[in-house]
Amino acid sequence: METTKSKDKFVVPIGPQHPALKEPGHFEFTVDGEIVTGATVRLGYVHRGIEKGCEDRNWTQGMYLVERICGICSHVHATAYALGAEQLAKVVVPPRAQAIRVLVSELERIHSHMLWLGVQAHEGGFDTLFMYTWRDRETVMDLLEMLTGNRVNYSANVLGGVKCDVTDEIASAILKGVDYLEERARYYLNIVTTDETFLGRTRNVGTMTPEQAVRIGAIGPTARASGLNRDVRVNAPYAGYVDFPVQIVTAQGGDLLARTIVRVNELFESIRLIRLIIEKLPPGELTARMPRRVPEGAVVSRVEAPRGELFYYLRSGGGDKPERVKVRTPSICNWATVMAVAIGHNLADMPMLLAGIDPCFSCSDRSVSVVRAGKEEYLTWEALRQYGIGYYK
Amino acid sequence: MKVGVMIGDLLRSLFRKPVTQQYPVVKIPAPERMRGKLFYNPEKCTGCMLCVKDCPSEAIELIVLDRVNKRFVMRYHVDRCTYCGQCVENCRFSCLGMSSTEWELASTKKEPFEVYYGRDEDIQALMDRLDLESGSPHNKKD
Amino acid sequence: MSTLTSLLALTIFPGGLFLLANGLLYEWVDRKLVAQLQNRVGPRWFQPLADVFKLFAKEEVVPEGVHRGLFWGLPVAALAAALTAALYVPLAGLQPAASFRGDLIVAVYMLSLLTICLGVAGANTFSRFAIIGATRTLTQLFSYEAPFMLSLLGPAILAGTWQISAINQFAASHTWMLLIQPVGFVVALVGLMGKLELPPFDAPEAETEIVSGALTEYSGRGLALFRLGKNIELVIGLTLVSAFYLGGLTNPLSFLLKTLALLFILALLQSLFARLRIDQTVGLWWRVGALLALAQILLVIVLKGVGVL
Repeated sequence: METTKSKDKFVVPIGPQHPALKEPGHFEFTVDGEIVTGATVRLGYVHRGIEKGCEDRNWTQGMYLVERICGICSHVHATAYALGAEQLAKVVVPPRAQAIRVLVSELERIHSHMLWLGVQAHEGGFDTLFMYTWRDRETVMDLLEMLTGNRVNYSANVLGGVKCDVTDEIASAILKGVDYLEERARYYLNIVTTDETFLGRTRNVGTMTPEQAVRIGAIGPTARASGLNRDVRVNAPYAGYVDFPVQIVTAQGGDLLARTIVRVNELFESIRLIRLIIEKLPPGELTARMPRRVPEGAVVSRVEAPRGELFYYLRSGGGDKPERVKVRTPSICNWATVMAVAIGHNLADMPMLLAGIDPCFSCSDRSVSVVRAGKEEYLTWEALRQYGIGYYK
Repeated sequence: MKVGVMIGDLLRSLFRKPVTQQYPVVKIPAPERMRGKLFYNPEKCTGCMLCVKDCPSEAIELIVLDRVNKRFVMRYHVDRCTYCGQCVENCRFSCLGMSSTEWELASTKKEPFEVYYGRDEDIQALMDRLDLESGSPHNKKD
Repeated sequence: MSTLTSLLALTIFPGGLFLLANGLLYEWVDRKLVAQLQNRVGPRWFQPLADVFKLFAKEEVVPEGVHRGLFWGLPVAALAAALTAALYVPLAGLQPAASFRGDLIVAVYMLSLLTICLGVAGANTFSRFAIIGATRTLTQLFSYEAPFMLSLLGPAILAGTWQISAINQFAASHTWMLLIQPVGFVVALVGLMGKLELPPFDAPEAETEIVSGALTEYSGRGLALFRLGKNIELVIGLTLVSAFYLGGLTNPLSFLLKTLALLFILALLQSLFARLRIDQTVGLWWRVGALLALAQILLVIVLKGVGVL
């Protein structure tokens, strides 16, 4: 492999295969010594054609397909899809089901943030914190398995409600688990804000001003760390969040330390919400009757994934299969924040910056561009299919 | 300025057993809602096919031997199943259930992945018919 | 018959095979201790040995455009340097195989030669990760060398000689240098971590940034030889620091106990901290490390001149 040298700089590729990345993505950093002078990103390695796949499957099957876009935000994908479909069919979901949906969402948020904390520590070389946060993440995964039946890809939703009920035994197990998690979260907050070696890697690294965040369009904890009040649960409450409101968690500073603090503080907020829901779970049915054919119309549903705002557009032509499902995941909006602040930092900060936005590559791949003989072009589905058929002839 | 804030946890871990589960020597039982392998009880089945219609991966086929006398055989593809549980949810007569003890389903051969469920005589009748059609014996698994 | 005993000493015990086995054992102890501190099960006792066997059995992929002689010769040179340094050090608590005045400098230089071989190997292969790793290795070598050498000089000044066996005798018959020169001990310990590229000073081989640093393109035999060289460096480093500061090594039992105690402290320090960036490492060493070591040396010289020590 030759080094591409141009004007005394050379290009360090991170990805598609790299120990820093958990999923494939290609980043090229132009470095001058150790200082980064340019950054580009290229995604598309995990494109699976899910939006097209939904058009061939009926509404129920589509929900399970969409749930598998991402392993860690699977429940919010299914919730957004179900909320959209229910709105089109004008089905009113019983309040107990809405509350259980929020319960699973918040447990998933805890799961995702603990995983993120471990990954961030690992990118910074702090393997001990990585091991301990992932050990404690097992607690929340066991709770989810007890409640829904699986550790990831919970499949708790059905169109019209939820499948799994909260019994007294499960409720008390959740409360006990959540107590343990709160104690550990306090401990991790202490480590993250006082340990000098970790602070040396996160303080004043990747600082993004609020104006930059607004201009780039950052969402989720990345934007909240710069002081913006962007949280769909607060700005446009959906499902059970109408009855169980959330307090927004922000931080000033906009650097990696602020993002860490926002995510760890969101753990506390989620734990508070879980305790409230278990205490005040409304009685009643779990599902409402959902027609097989969804009436014509188009709807937009937005939910708050652990990474930011998740946006779904569903269009129905009146049949039992959707006409168009469009998914806009939060990670797509946050990539630009890394590229904008990367210049001027050390190469050693790059993995931590990349992990700092909590990227979910599987969520981000919605279209693919084909580079042929140096020219880039975009292909429609039909053209791509013909290309594939012709390639193998 | 503090360094080594995790020292308390580290020293405590010296005297604790590692938290790793030593699978397969030690197997912790799964909770009862765990979605493992699917099971079918033909007694109450009416052949409504709701489970087949909503399966996201076409893992269930319901073969009708005799609709009037309600003789059905279910062919279940273990490798296609995503263990979502929609079929269990759809069935109005509780003919389907997911096991919480049988979830170690890996295999090096293809045969264990095609499972036939039903009454013994129905399965035998299906096997005979399939043998007649294709001329080679099918293996039967219950 | 003395040539036979020298040959046996060089190849079986305490040099050669024993030294290699000791290196593998200490690597295992280090990994197992770090695992226990992180609340997980570590590797089984034969893991480092199995790694070496596996690496010898694998195909060695030579990247395009490298200087072949250097590519194959550098791992051998690194291992040879480490084994040579072992000649002057009281391994297993026995007298060093060779000893002359000033061999402290030679032993430390041999260990640095290993790091230089590592850096040159990285610069030789044209991979981008290897070049950055090599730069970081050599930068780190440049920054911890002075404080580490100074911290080893502290006991040397008290003993009045630069010969390792003589310093060993001196340390065995006087109170532990750990108590007399605690600052020097701290600098020596941290310097050892820098020399061995242990976390938090593992920026030269940061897994999440530059894959494997200077050794990225090595596989098979070359990688096995480099790893063996690093393991031997671990043993020799531990022997030196425990011989000087922990009251000398006079018999195999004290060798085992003292080096294992030091290894335990190293494992603890490894797990406590996040990785330092290379500019933070250099800043730390040149600002804090060198000054502390200098201050300690000056104190020792003054006190010795005055007659207290």
